[in-house]
Amino acid sequence: MLRATQAGSGLVVSVLLLSGVVASAADPAATPGISAGQTAPAATPATGDPGLPFVYRRWEQFTTATGLPNDHVFAVRVHGDSVWIGTEDGLACLDKKSRKIKAWREQDGLPWRVISGIDVHPRTGEVWLGMFGGGLARFSGGRFDHWHQLNSGLVNDVVYGVAVENDNIWAATTAGASRYNTVTGEWSIFTEKNAPMEEIWNYGVCYADGYVYLGVWGSGVLEYDVQRGTWKDYLDPDGEMEIDLYRDDGIVHVITTGVSYIEKTLWVSTYFGACRYDGRHWRGFFSHECGVPSDFHNAVRARSANEAWYATDKGLGALADFATDTWVTYTSDHTAMKGKAVVKRGKQLLKEIEMPLSLPHDYALAVDFDGPDVWVGTSKGVGHAIGDGYYRGLRAAGAEAERGP
Amino acid sequence: MSTTGWVLYTVLIAAGSGPAVSGDDAAGAAEPAGQAGQAVAETPGPRLDASGEDLDYLARLLRAIDVGPYDVPKLTLKRDQNYAYSSVDVEPFGYVTPFKEHFLEQMEYTGPGRALPEPENLTSVKIGFIGPIMSTVSVATGGKSHEETLGVSMLRGAMLAIEQANAAGGYRKRNLPFELVVSNDNGLWGASGNEIIKLAYKDRVWAILGTIDGANSHIAIRVALKAEIVMMNSGDTDPTFIETNIPWVMRCISDDRQQSYLLVDYLYRKLNYTRVGIIRASNRYGRFGVREINDGSRRLEHPIILEMAYKVGSGGYTLQLERLKDSDVEAIVHWGDAADGAAILTQMRALGMQQPYFCCDRCVDDEFLAVAGTHAEGVVCTYPWDPTREDVKLTAFRSAYRERFNAEADTYAAHGYDGMSMLIWAIQAAGLNRAKVRDVLAHRSRPFAGVTGPIPFSACLDDLGDVFLARVENGAWKFSSRAELGIPRGYIAPRDRVSRTLAADPE
Repeated sequence: MLRATQAGSGLVVSVLLLSGVVASAADPAATPGISAGQTAPAATPATGDPGLPFVYRRWEQFTTATGLPNDHVFAVRVHGDSVWIGTEDGLACLDKKSRKIKAWREQDGLPWRVISGIDVHPRTGEVWLGMFGGGLARFSGGRFDHWHQLNSGLVNDVVYGVAVENDNIWAATTAGASRYNTVTGEWSIFTEKNAPMEEIWNYGVCYADGYVYLGVWGSGVLEYDVQRGTWKDYLDPDGEMEIDLYRDDGIVHVITTGVSYIEKTLWVSTYFGACRYDGRHWRGFFSHECGVPSDFHNAVRARSANEAWYATDKGLGALADFATDTWVTYTSDHTAMKGKAVVKRGKQLLKEIEMPLSLPHDYALAVDFDGPDVWVGTSKGVGHAIGDGYYRGLRAAGAEAERGP
Repeated sequence: MSTTGWVLYTVLIAAGSGPAVSGDDAAGAAEPAGQAGQAVAETPGPRLDASGEDLDYLARLLRAIDVGPYDVPKLTLKRDQNYAYSSVDVEPFGYVTPFKEHFLEQMEYTGPGRALPEPENLTSVKIGFIGPIMSTVSVATGGKSHEETLGVSMLRGAMLAIEQANAAGGYRKRNLPFELVVSNDNGLWGASGNEIIKLAYKDRVWAILGTIDGANSHIAIRVALKAEIVMMNSGDTDPTFIETNIPWVMRCISDDRQQSYLLVDYLYRKLNYTRVGIIRASNRYGRFGVREINDGSRRLEHPIILEMAYKVGSGGYTLQLERLKDSDVEAIVHWGDAADGAAILTQMRALGMQQPYFCCDRCVDDEFLAVAGTHAEGVVCTYPWDPTREDVKLTAFRSAYRERFNAEADTYAAHGYDGMSMLIWAIQAAGLNRAKVRDVLAHRSRPFAGVTGPIPFSACLDDLGDVFLARVENGAWKFSSRAELGIPRGYIAPRDRVSRTLAADPE
């Protein structure tokens, strides 16, 4: 790779060339992504072998057979002992301790059947629901409160994503973003009239460290500085729909589907590939050159500046170690009743691991983290990856060992 | 075939998936169960149905897509070597090999939807329609849409297709009538999203036709993707509509990119203009419609001298025209509605501007001729099809439309009819399963034989059929093809850009 040959020297370079890694930790100038205050990835071996990532080999699945109201899962959010699950026909809550699932449909007071986004207020525990065609709802104390176009400042009822920002609730809708202040009751609407949205078709929203990020279909990613009340946009530099002119020159496409911000690093998903931005460098991820199983990304969830999971139409792509471009792709084979994890560094296949169970379905739609565990929403149920022994980054192959289920 | 509508048929759906199926696959297959009246080629060769599809291929396709919820059928994906027939000299950043080129390989649907069984207890087979057909209730929230006349034509075309299908037996597999579920699209951004939600989840339609406004179309397809339902578009010519990588979206009308390529070639390669100006509607249709003209002009080294926007329906265009007059342009391109286009032309002439006038397809309208009067003579417009071609199917459609609505069918009616006919064809073939309806449309081996002409899909399921220029001659529109007008075109590379040594180098 050109950048690697320019950046490094000696033994490290030869390894990088072999593995297809873009940047080397041996060359700080070329090291992407680690800015002050970030959590560094787990130490990698000093030898030429960077090591292997943790592979989730223990999975369990939840479907309508085990209590979900519907198998088509659009949203998953973990809070404490509760796993909140938004489906095409109802809301569910899995109690991790009792392992019981409680479900709510419209006849149970749920304002609308299709739940497309969930966030939980960290202080109050209130569950906020983005409803696909039904507006916004708060579930608290067993009661649903409902906001929609006709009774509030919600700009549109087709809500794709919801995020809690301090006392505010943000809703990414198909006709702009709305912000609801839960203390004052004030609504704010953001569209092309007061934000740099060339198009107003909001898709994803997240909040962390003073910034709200909106993934906007046709307008890339918008960053809102909460303290300053200012906007910044991230667009595809070439401005063309049919090509990505130069690699790593910016966001890969303006049609974005998801955003996740953590440790001063922005992770973005699109239907044309994925990318990461550390404040200085962009890095694109495409299926033809790395371990991600598809370029059609429904969502992204980042665990750190070094690790992010992409929910695609052909499985789950976990970038386990950004620094070495090491991926683990999870898919399932229901004919053989097996799951499979494929470990790649760039395009180089490192390992294939079969397991008794994996994702409920390869069409993945949502991801959330739960300490070492991972919860995945798919079009045929929820997968729970159990992370006993999970470690960040890489470990020497011997240390990674064969970890049985 | 019937002269009034579709020949309907059912096909056997055999269990099990076989090897990859493609339109070029000529391997033998089991005989499909044809119905009486089914059109079959008289000469040896593929047996074709009334839509032009190879029946043997269709039978194999249906077997291939009969899969369980965890299986993805082995279908050969369309692979285009060139995006949208773009010649190398109008490709963006033509002197750079791009890192990645999109839209060349067909998108897949990999979800579990194909395993859903047909529901019981249906009384009709619902198909959705969304279009701008009525004024909104409040002027303050939108008022009368300038696209309503277009939407009503589209609705009439769709209605006619439904009525003819029902006259021929409806949904043959279960003897159920088709039912058109109509939603109004009032042009306000966001409203179409709610309407598609209603169609998909409350009305439970099997596919949707619509809409015209570019913004509303985009909103609608975002919903269709998540709800997993086919969205067929017959009226939005915004090139970016299809540039979204959604496997559920398709379009049966040639877009502004194709029409602009033809116009740009005409302006610069045929007429040798060097100074062209643009006047366009200040809305999404105008803004996106002239993008390819702007880009193509610049890439052919004749950048647009001046682009002026006007408020739709304003009636007064003096400011814009005086600026264009001062810019000393040789020709003017207008992109907007017919009424505005004709008024602009009239005011141009009143100001002494004698430049040739070129317009988009919306100006190919009787209203344009009526308002512009003698000024219309010589005006040239782009057009997505040739409505004057000799064709039995088109003649029958025109006659039926006239009889049903006491009006002449326009382009929105004809494309609406074709789009709805494609959905009906797909439902007849695939059954009541949204994913399979998508599959049979997305994986057709041959162009759909529509009243607007053959409709060949690109890899991203856009209509790549021929486009035309319409010229006013003796008070009437005369349609001509690129070949008839002898319009040269640039070199179209037979390979994708990434694998070429240099994108702009002819091979």
